[in-house]
Amino acid sequence: MKDVIIKEHIFNHSIDKVWDAISKEVEISNWFIKADFKAEKGYSYSFKSEGENCTEINGVVKEANPYTLIYTWVVQNTNVETLVKWMLKETAEGTSLYLEHSGISNYSGDTAVQMFTGFNGGWDNCVSELSKYLMEEVHAG
Amino acid sequence: MQDKITRILKAIADPTRREIFHALVVASTALPITQISNLFDISRQGVTKHIKTLEEAGLIHISNKGRERFCYANAEPLMEVNKWLKFYEKFWDNAIGNLESYLDDKA
Repeated sequence: MKDVIIKEHIFNHSIDKVWDAISKEVEISNWFIKADFKAEKGYSYSFKSEGENCTEINGVVKEANPYTLIYTWVVQNTNVETLVKWMLKETAEGTSLYLEHSGISNYSGDTAVQMFTGFNGGWDNCVSELSKYLMEEVHAG
Repeated sequence: MQDKITRILKAIADPTRREIFHALVVASTALPITQISNLFDISRQGVTKHIKTLEEAGLIHISNKGRERFCYANAEPLMEVNKWLKFYEKFWDNAIGNLESYLDDKA
């Protein structure tokens, strides 16, 4: 069994548009989680959702060169370091994304269970609430 | 102390250990170590070592009956690893979905 999650997706958008969305603070805050983020190697970032009971994510940017973005991913109060890697490639259809989240086995069984219960009503919603909000904004406008 | 999930992943990282575990799952009954050893082309000592690693991960339980030690499989720890991976699977699926709607809506 692997402890790596890999997601691949094709976006019907230009590579620079996708790159900006995943690397710029304002944009990350829009579709993902409210961020304090700079796409600079060594920058200590944080993802802090404004929703209730949302767990904070912290980490350090390891690499940020178009079109590769790598940062460590530490969930608040866990001290367990995992790694998130975003890689973009230009394709005929637009842009292909390769997303890799590794080191998940570093979470201990107890932490896993604890975080799990905490996230079920919390963090998970912290992210999806944002998209609902966005949708409403768009349709209202 | 090495944590639980790491122990489980390490235990099943080795092909021989996976085969031993698999043999016990298929048997769906307790098997004596002697019988397990006979299934594999390695020393009894080697098998015993693998079984110990599997036991430490909670994937095998051992009970003594007379002079023989019986092993049986316990797949429950695998659920824990699976649960944790599933959580992040869903998390990133949601995130990519969000990213896509965001990009589509962006002028």
